[in-house]
Amino acid sequence: MTSRFVRVNLGASNPQQNRNSESFQKASQNRLPATFAPRRFYATTEEKMRTKSAIGPFTWKAATVFIGTGIATLIYFDREKKKSIQLREEKKIQEKSKSYGKPKLGGPFKLTNAANNEEFDSESLRGRFHLIYFGFTHCPDICPEELDKMSEVVEATKKDKELGEHALVPIFITCDPRRDTAPIVKEYVKDFHPDLIGLTGSQEEIKKVAKLFRVYVSSPPALSEDDDYLVDHSIFFYLMSPEGVFLDCYSQNATPESVLTSFKKHYQDYVEQGGQVNDTPL
Amino acid sequence: MSALPESSKPPTRAERKHCWKLRDEYFTCLDKISIIDPAIVDKDPSRAEGCLDSKKKYEDGCMASWVEYFNKRRVIDVRQKQYLEFSEKMSGK
Repeated sequence: MTSRFVRVNLGASNPQQNRNSESFQKASQNRLPATFAPRRFYATTEEKMRTKSAIGPFTWKAATVFIGTGIATLIYFDREKKKSIQLREEKKIQEKSKSYGKPKLGGPFKLTNAANNEEFDSESLRGRFHLIYFGFTHCPDICPEELDKMSEVVEATKKDKELGEHALVPIFITCDPRRDTAPIVKEYVKDFHPDLIGLTGSQEEIKKVAKLFRVYVSSPPALSEDDDYLVDHSIFFYLMSPEGVFLDCYSQNATPESVLTSFKKHYQDYVEQGGQVNDTPL
Repeated sequence: MSALPESSKPPTRAERKHCWKLRDEYFTCLDKISIIDPAIVDKDPSRAEGCLDSKKKYEDGCMASWVEYFNKRRVIDVRQKQYLEFSEKMSGK
């Protein structure tokens, strides 16, 4: 009686293999045509082993290749990530020492030079880099610290062979003209650096200059009040080019070294572009 | 040169240093008794008996506007430090 079972192809995908199988031979030895070999729903042990071995080496190889590729990919991505992080860090450092776009700070001004009580025209600064600090003589701690920092920067500039003795002119402008008259400012700046120029003026003149530099300055108390008060003001150094163009500003957090580095870069850029620096004493 | 009123003349470098020194001595004393705001001592001197001496020296050696400024700064600086420590702890978690 011929079985009506559907033939199930077990294990081998290659029909050629199928024909050479032992069970197949056995079946054909029964003198039945191949197609009428007894059909089974289960796999013989031999076929099972072949199935296993058929997937066996393939699986191990595939696994190795898979894992190998995976590791290679991980290493590649890790390296690229590290590279991009490094690039980002470098960019950050570069940006910190650069200025973010240049607001139109500064401009021509006329004040009083505390040293000789004569008019001081900003035109006289033409051809020289200058560093301006706004403060007042009754300042408890910040102004003295910042002016000391300024002195350190100027000294370091003088020692630098590329920059030289007169590369940077330090300027102190008072935010408190009511108390800081010329003699007072003269005494004050002597305490910090011999090159430090102290400027003062009338209330209106100082107000005008403060506005040019966008410096916030609080108004002094009413005239009838006591002479003991503090002035609120923004704490920045302003680096100006020999043409009176704003280049950079440095906050309280800036160290003398970072200020010097930044100034040197601006100096070099300026000279490279053909700028003329006046290196005679002011 | 006209005579200028006392408070108009700014402190010299030496005077500044002297004032800072007295301030630091007073504040160290307050640190020891864990008082942050020096204004508390003004309101209730009995809380800082041991520091009253250095307090007087400090207030005599510095301009009134400076004393007020330093006192306020102390409170701000301590609070800022506490806040930074707190936020570091939180980000550490």
